Amino acid sequence: MPSKNMGRIKAIIVKEFFHIMRDPRSLTMVFFIPLVMIFILGYSVSYDLNRIDAAVIDLSQSRLSKQLVQAFAANRIFVIRTRGNNGHGTLSLAAAEKMLRQQKIKEIIVIPADLSRCLAEKRQCSIGLIIDGSDVNIANLVYQYDERIILEFIAAMKGVGQLLKINTKIFFNPEARSQFFFIPGLVAVILLMISAMLTSLSVAKERETGSIALLFISPLKSREIIIGKTIPYIIVSLLDGVVILLFARFWFGIPLRGSLAVLLVFALLYIVSGLALGILISASAPTQRTAMLATLLITMLPSFLLSGFIFPLDSLSPVLRAISYVIPATYFLRIIRGVILKGAELRHFLFDGGMLIALSMVLLAAATRKFNRQRKAAQ
Amino acid sequence: MSAPALAAITVSDLSKNFGHFQAVKGISFTVAPGEIVGFLGPNGAGKTTTIKMITGLLKITSGTVLIGGLDNRKHLAAIKKKLGYMSQKFSLYPLLTAMENIEFFGGISGLPPAELRLHMARMEEQVASDILGQKIQDVPPGIRQKVALFVCLMPEPEIILLDEPTSGVDPEARRLFWNELYGLKKHGKTLLVSTHNLDEAEYCDRIIIIHNGEIVACGEPEELLRQKGKVNIEELFKDAIQEHGQN
Amino acid sequence: MKLFYLVKKELIEIVRQKELLVLMFIAPVIQIIILGYVISTDIRHVPVGIVNLAKGQAAGQIIQRVRQTQLFNVRVLSDRSEDYLYLLKKGEVKTVLIFRDALDRKRSVQKYPEVQILMDGMDSNTSMIAAGYFNGIIKNYILNDMEKLGQGLPLSGQAVFRFNPQLRSINYMGPGIVGFLLTIITMFLTSASMVREKEQQTLDTLLISPLSTLEIYIGKALPAALIGLADMVIGLVVVVLWFGIPFRGNLFYLFLASLVYLAAILSYALLISVLSATTQQAMFFAWFSLMIFLLMSGFFTPVDNIPPLLRVLADINPLRYLIKIIREIFLKGNSIAFFWKDLLVLSGIALTLMSISLLNFKRFISK
Repeated sequence: MPSKNMGRIKAIIVKEFFHIMRDPRSLTMVFFIPLVMIFILGYSVSYDLNRIDAAVIDLSQSRLSKQLVQAFAANRIFVIRTRGNNGHGTLSLAAAEKMLRQQKIKEIIVIPADLSRCLAEKRQCSIGLIIDGSDVNIANLVYQYDERIILEFIAAMKGVGQLLKINTKIFFNPEARSQFFFIPGLVAVILLMISAMLTSLSVAKERETGSIALLFISPLKSREIIIGKTIPYIIVSLLDGVVILLFARFWFGIPLRGSLAVLLVFALLYIVSGLALGILISASAPTQRTAMLATLLITMLPSFLLSGFIFPLDSLSPVLRAISYVIPATYFLRIIRGVILKGAELRHFLFDGGMLIALSMVLLAAATRKFNRQRKAAQ
Repeated sequence: MSAPALAAITVSDLSKNFGHFQAVKGISFTVAPGEIVGFLGPNGAGKTTTIKMITGLLKITSGTVLIGGLDNRKHLAAIKKKLGYMSQKFSLYPLLTAMENIEFFGGISGLPPAELRLHMARMEEQVASDILGQKIQDVPPGIRQKVALFVCLMPEPEIILLDEPTSGVDPEARRLFWNELYGLKKHGKTLLVSTHNLDEAEYCDRIIIIHNGEIVACGEPEELLRQKGKVNIEELFKDAIQEHGQN
Repeated sequence: MKLFYLVKKELIEIVRQKELLVLMFIAPVIQIIILGYVISTDIRHVPVGIVNLAKGQAAGQIIQRVRQTQLFNVRVLSDRSEDYLYLLKKGEVKTVLIFRDALDRKRSVQKYPEVQILMDGMDSNTSMIAAGYFNGIIKNYILNDMEKLGQGLPLSGQAVFRFNPQLRSINYMGPGIVGFLLTIITMFLTSASMVREKEQQTLDTLLISPLSTLEIYIGKALPAALIGLADMVIGLVVVVLWFGIPFRGNLFYLFLASLVYLAAILSYALLISVLSATTQQAMFFAWFSLMIFLLMSGFFTPVDNIPPLLRVLADINPLRYLIKIIREIFLKGNSIAFFWKDLLVLSGIALTLMSISLLNFKRFISK
């Protein structure tokens, strides 16, 4: 009898709701913590390179080499040092290497003594670049900047600029602010964690307090228990999501170019997948502590690393790329960034939405199975 | 006869406030050495609060508690050695086995390893070893109760405070448990046992009935019944509470 | 001696939970391995759409050069603007290059084409790098062509990378993740420890025992520290053996820094433990702190980018110092002369946290 089923599920939902409401401190945390996180991290997480400290050792000391140094110095990112530590005397290579080791500079640019002659004789000439390679991303960026500046220098010298018309147009984020990229990503990652965490504690808590026995012997089907325990948190998480989005919109001025309704529909699917993941963990973990640690290890690193949150998906190796397909954040990241920044529509993300639904179904089914097995074992 | 022995527990004008709520309202009573005193009252009457103040676990708002004549706020370390305390729900680590619980509690109470091994051997004689090897969360409440009492007695306290030791245990196990308490009394121990099972009053030398943080009746069970003209404790209890409510 | 029983009990409680053990010892290994393969913001296989409307030969040759790099997956698109704009919006291509014949005033076709680069600015980092490459490739081509130098250039940079010559990301991230694991494991083992005793109703028995406050404090911290260190060793072994990251520095300082860090993080976790009312709250707090610790530590993104007001948070973040020290030791083999300041600051943070935490712990116990 479907109506009877509905009534029983309702009973569980109501009970869970009471649980949530009766602990206002936890509830406040659920809403407050994500805001604080978005606030702090929204400002702090960025891999923009704002400043490159470089030492220049100019062995040529010619008009040309000075122009080249000038070309570097003219770039607003470069801060060039040519002097020794106390401000006078030329910088020796050894002193520069020491500065590199102390992280005072990111690179040393060595201009060879025969620069002018070399160029006049049309021989190939190279500038030595000694770059701190420890942070690979920074090292790459530094190297790219160097190459570009040298190329521009030589291109200007040879008058290539007049021969060429390059016209660059940046869509969706004309000022290239990395916040536009990171903040929607943070929204997605935090939403997944919050929703997974909310449910991950639910069954584990009942297990720890022993009240799970009451659920085991209730006439409810395992499926009903699992669904009943998930539904109340959909509302909490969705509200949470709206609050976070509003904050991103009005505090950080992230535009919403697409439709809010579309975003919320996908957010709902995404939240359900997070809750389903949490409930599966909860059904498997013996204590809240274990549940929480599992949730964290399972949601945090993969959603950070394999979803495109920080590192571009295109660069992943095929195996990891395959793993990224079972991470809900992968889909939602694409959706939220698309809808928010590009004004993308529902039809762009039919596949992603479908995958979110499929993932939720699989996770819920697995949770039900797990719960059912324990229930049988307990009886 | 020698001069009257110093009271084991003397509680005078003891109060506890939680914010604006007064959980215990200036109660006084004594427990003599070698006595079993039942501390009766419905849930929320202030039993646990009082016992926790006696043990020093809870700060006293006003009044004093003397244990063997020593103020428990000044001589807490010395008093801890005299007191045994078994808290509600048995206070055992659910993930540890019975034996591990015993080893742990014996260990932290400072028993020398050799003595600890003796105790553990004694437990092994009393309960089947397969039960002792299970996680305590998986064994029947009766065994848990037994282990909890055992743990509480290991450091050989003179005065034993038991908070609801029989809740959630079947009647047969309860009877056995009280037998054990009698054994302790025979060995000269002093016991203060809180319970909301009124029928356990008959096991006690004296009972104290507490309601809403105040003592509403106190004395030997038979004596109290006779005074008030009641046939059983339950009626006595109802009556006392009603009378108290009218005041 | 009493302490021994407390530590033993804590360890038994952990070992009794198979799931917890798996999480603590297997998950980290998997995490590191994944991390080793994934981490890089280098761009590779960026999907690029090309529309070639130019008739000259130069455009074709430039496109050929774009194809030759490993950086891009080139897709030739039709010239219908709604098509490529749709793909750009959907995220299927990150950049569109449009080549047109350049005409001079007399409307005759120039040798080199006119190029339009349409970028998806959403992932500004990838797009900027890609645009830089295109720019370079095109100018490079023209310079080669002018100077008849083949593929070479008259002037170019010759780079040497110090400390990490092959520019392997794992060399930088791997040692860092060891510090991260140390944090996550110890934090979760400890931050709920006192609340748990309360919820299990075992706290009173613990408090009435002759154990002193300090003994309980240490008894709670020590097992987590042991497990944290074990995890760290496993992490180091994986990092060094699986990924072959050279260990250049001094193991003693590595462990010294880790111990100081452990003192800081465990104090912090115990503070959470006495301030929270339920396990759930403790876990939320731990999670929140962990996110802040991790994302403001320089582990993923440079600390330099944090704005001054929030920099204070990064400056008191103990994980930041640990990760810096670990990297110094691992990558550069730097001696203590290079990081004694960091170690000092870390010790200061540890001491401060420990005193705050112990004070609150005392208050919690004598309530």
